[in-house]
Amino acid sequence: MRIYEDLRAVQDRLVVAQRVVGALMAVLLVAFWYLQVLNNRYFLELAESNRIRNVPLVAPRGLLLDRGGRLLVENRPSFNILLTPEHSEDLDSTVARLADALGMDEATIRARIAARPARFRPAVIRADAPFADVAAVEARRLELPETGVEVVPLRAYPLQAAAAHALGRVGEVSERQLEQEAFAMVAPGTFIGQAGLEARYNAELMGRDGVRRVVVNSRGAEVAEAERTPPVDGPTLTLTLDASLQAALERAFVGRRGSAVALDPETGEILALTSQPAYDPNAFATGVDSGTWRSLIGDPMRPLMNRVIQGQYSPGSTFKPIEAMAALAEGVITPTSTVYCPGYLSIYNTVFRCNRPEGHGSIDLRRALAVSCNVYFYQAGVRLEIERIARYSRRFGLGSPTGVDLPAESSGLVPSPEWKQRVLKTPWYAGETVSVAIGQGQLNVTPMQMARATAALAVGRLVQPHLVKAVAGRPVEWPPAQDLGFDPAHFEAVRTGMCDVVAAGSGWRARLPGVEVCGKTGSAQVVTRARLQQLGPGNELVQPHGWFIAFAPRERPRIALAVLVENGGSGGEAAAPVAHEVLAHFFRVAVPPRVPAPAAAEAP
Amino acid sequence: MAIDRRLLQNLDGPLLLAVGLLSGIGVATIWSATKATAFADLYFKQLSAIGLGVLGMVVVASLDYRRLADRAPFFYAASLVVLSYVLFFGPRIAGTRRWLVLGGAQLQPSEFVKLAAALFVAKIFAESRKDQLGLRDVMPAGAAIGLLSLLIAAAPDLGTAFCLVPLFLTVALLAGLRVRAVLLLALCGVLLGALGWSFALRDYQKSRIYTFLDPNLDPRGAGYQTIQSQIAVGSGGLTGKGYGNGSQVQLGYLPARQTDFIFSVLAEELGFVGVSVVLALYLFVLWRALETAQLARDRVGAYLAAGIAATFGFQVVYNVAMVAGLVPVKGLPLPFLSYGGSSVLASLLGIGLILNVRMRRFAN
Repeated sequence: MRIYEDLRAVQDRLVVAQRVVGALMAVLLVAFWYLQVLNNRYFLELAESNRIRNVPLVAPRGLLLDRGGRLLVENRPSFNILLTPEHSEDLDSTVARLADALGMDEATIRARIAARPARFRPAVIRADAPFADVAAVEARRLELPETGVEVVPLRAYPLQAAAAHALGRVGEVSERQLEQEAFAMVAPGTFIGQAGLEARYNAELMGRDGVRRVVVNSRGAEVAEAERTPPVDGPTLTLTLDASLQAALERAFVGRRGSAVALDPETGEILALTSQPAYDPNAFATGVDSGTWRSLIGDPMRPLMNRVIQGQYSPGSTFKPIEAMAALAEGVITPTSTVYCPGYLSIYNTVFRCNRPEGHGSIDLRRALAVSCNVYFYQAGVRLEIERIARYSRRFGLGSPTGVDLPAESSGLVPSPEWKQRVLKTPWYAGETVSVAIGQGQLNVTPMQMARATAALAVGRLVQPHLVKAVAGRPVEWPPAQDLGFDPAHFEAVRTGMCDVVAAGSGWRARLPGVEVCGKTGSAQVVTRARLQQLGPGNELVQPHGWFIAFAPRERPRIALAVLVENGGSGGEAAAPVAHEVLAHFFRVAVPPRVPAPAAAEAP
Repeated sequence: MAIDRRLLQNLDGPLLLAVGLLSGIGVATIWSATKATAFADLYFKQLSAIGLGVLGMVVVASLDYRRLADRAPFFYAASLVVLSYVLFFGPRIAGTRRWLVLGGAQLQPSEFVKLAAALFVAKIFAESRKDQLGLRDVMPAGAAIGLLSLLIAAAPDLGTAFCLVPLFLTVALLAGLRVRAVLLLALCGVLLGALGWSFALRDYQKSRIYTFLDPNLDPRGAGYQTIQSQIAVGSGGLTGKGYGNGSQVQLGYLPARQTDFIFSVLAEELGFVGVSVVLALYLFVLWRALETAQLARDRVGAYLAAGIAATFGFQVVYNVAMVAGLVPVKGLPLPFLSYGGSSVLASLLGIGLILNVRMRRFAN
């Protein structure tokens, strides 16, 4: 029998050990209570953000159609070659093989990888890849599973440079734009409208991007789709443009620089619009390369500028019909009163010359318009004085933007003593009124303003020029035409003179068999005498800008247009032939019927 | 091998039941942690290891623990030899030399060294007849255990190496080591730690400690494990996301999910309720082991049971605290739950020794 050891002291200490174990377990339990019950929501959110990734579904931008439903701007599928570096087991070899397959250098590929916004996101190695590259990557699917091809809608302009300034272009949203409220919902890297209708209607055209909420594993690979909100396509815009008339206008402008716009004088619908030189907006669809961008920006002829609404020129003699309306309305002339033209007007210690040095003799309004007699309009201007000239000019829409639905429109300038005192801090000289009376001096207009004023001469009402007819099939309501409140007889007198311009005057090149065309030529001096001496008379840039405004037919006019050919010389020689081609095309083809007004708009 | 009927009467059924439940929960959790991966058959390997472990447990329980303790010097010497062999000639796997390859099977000797150390410490302190022990009294045993610990730490395997410290301290305290002496020892430890920080710790070990202090320092690197484990635990909530449904587990965000972080799997899928049940089972096992030490008929038995309980206790508390982000990440398996043949085998052998002590509390 063995003697039992005295273990009491050990046993007492073991009781302490049990208590220590119990206490430690209690501490652990409290810790788990804290994490799992008290902070459950916080960690659940973290687990969700681990698990769920939002993949945007880009909404295709809305299409642009011409008034007859012909496609002007569309989206074409394009292929981007992607690489997700996190999925690669050996990135160096992947990059080398990809470089080989695509014929790119490795440094470029690495730069693309470094430029992506976040880890686990695929980097776009080549945007809008040609089919051969797509095939090369697809063929290596098994050896390079970390590469992929995505299909994204890309903006396409089948007309290329035609109507580029009306349609506009897209480009990646800039950092400055991102700071603006209008682009608050736009993610960096998104392509937005940057010019023309693309910019003006960007909010509508973008539609609403959808999102795929996908479950991803710890390697970032998609395991399942948790939720899908489909994108809402941007609505289709139906434009007022007529693609075939547009093509005729583009053809007529080949070899010329300047701009032209044709509109429906009753409604203000713009039928065709061009600004030359132009550019191909397709070059911007994937993000313009810096070389192309620099050459466009650095071009002294400024191809990115929309001359129709941003070019500001002296109207020259095309201002005379407006001047005539003012003088008739104020009673300083009548349709039959005459002025004697000796070939010059000597007034305010200055001699103002007529376009015909030997003079027109005794001349009435009709003939004064037809032969563009300066002296007649000098006299009218002197009698009207500058304030009244300015007031009537503004009534015809000069001196302020027309409000056409294009961004960055210039307002032109209607000079007045008040304006001159405020801006130039000098008083008005009476002699300046004489220059303004024949569309020179400080008076500046855009071709869009002149086209609208021409339409007003044609129908007696000032319309709202616009390019969008309907959004997603619903007609857009534009402000109605404003009646100008002139005596119809005065209009008839001016129109008769304008018809003579084409029938027997300087605008004869716009004559059209069977259609009575009313027009007015003009030329705007572009250089001072001193500059002319410096550049030499042979330099193209000293040639005046040639203007031609016209509407037709005289009764119930259906088209009004303004053409400006920069440095083209006289309007009759440079601009009237362009108008002729457009009018010839317009009156030979049937115009598609107008979209009927919505039923609600027709009051009983 | 004949087992006395009287011994069988004293077999600790409740302890066996608790260990069985823990092992079962472990197999089920391993299945859930690996079902979506290429390692979906690990649960079966774990079951095999448990089967082998039960066999080993029966063998160990059937031999009188005093006879085993008498052979403690032999086990100690064998441990030194095997650890040295592994350290110098063992295969390098994942940057460490922890493994012994025997006929196609990989064994981690350090797991078994813990048992040898428990026997050795129990034997040495049982021979001391003093009521109070000073530092000088425990120095030889401490040095011997320290040597084992260093060999394991050199593998490197800091977690397991550190397990020997609570084992030694617990038994020394039970044997009468003055608390004041322990404090002095702790001071030495701090000094040694400071020296070790400067000279011995490798960069990855240092970064683990840094990132423990602030996991967000390196959310994709060393802090990743702690962050993801906390997310798994915290998002589990009261009742969990459901067995097999934890997103952290199933989508692979949780690292080492079938081994060191298995408790995180359980916490995510079964929630605070599951955590409470498993912690209660562990508390019961430890309580029962310490009770066995109280009931032991002699010091060797008491020290042996308490020493094994101390290593278990340390591993459970440390591992669970690590999963909750309370202590730095160390490669330390959770007994009975974590996947790993050596761990399962050694843990069940340890239970065998505890059963052994309880069975023989009345025997001669």
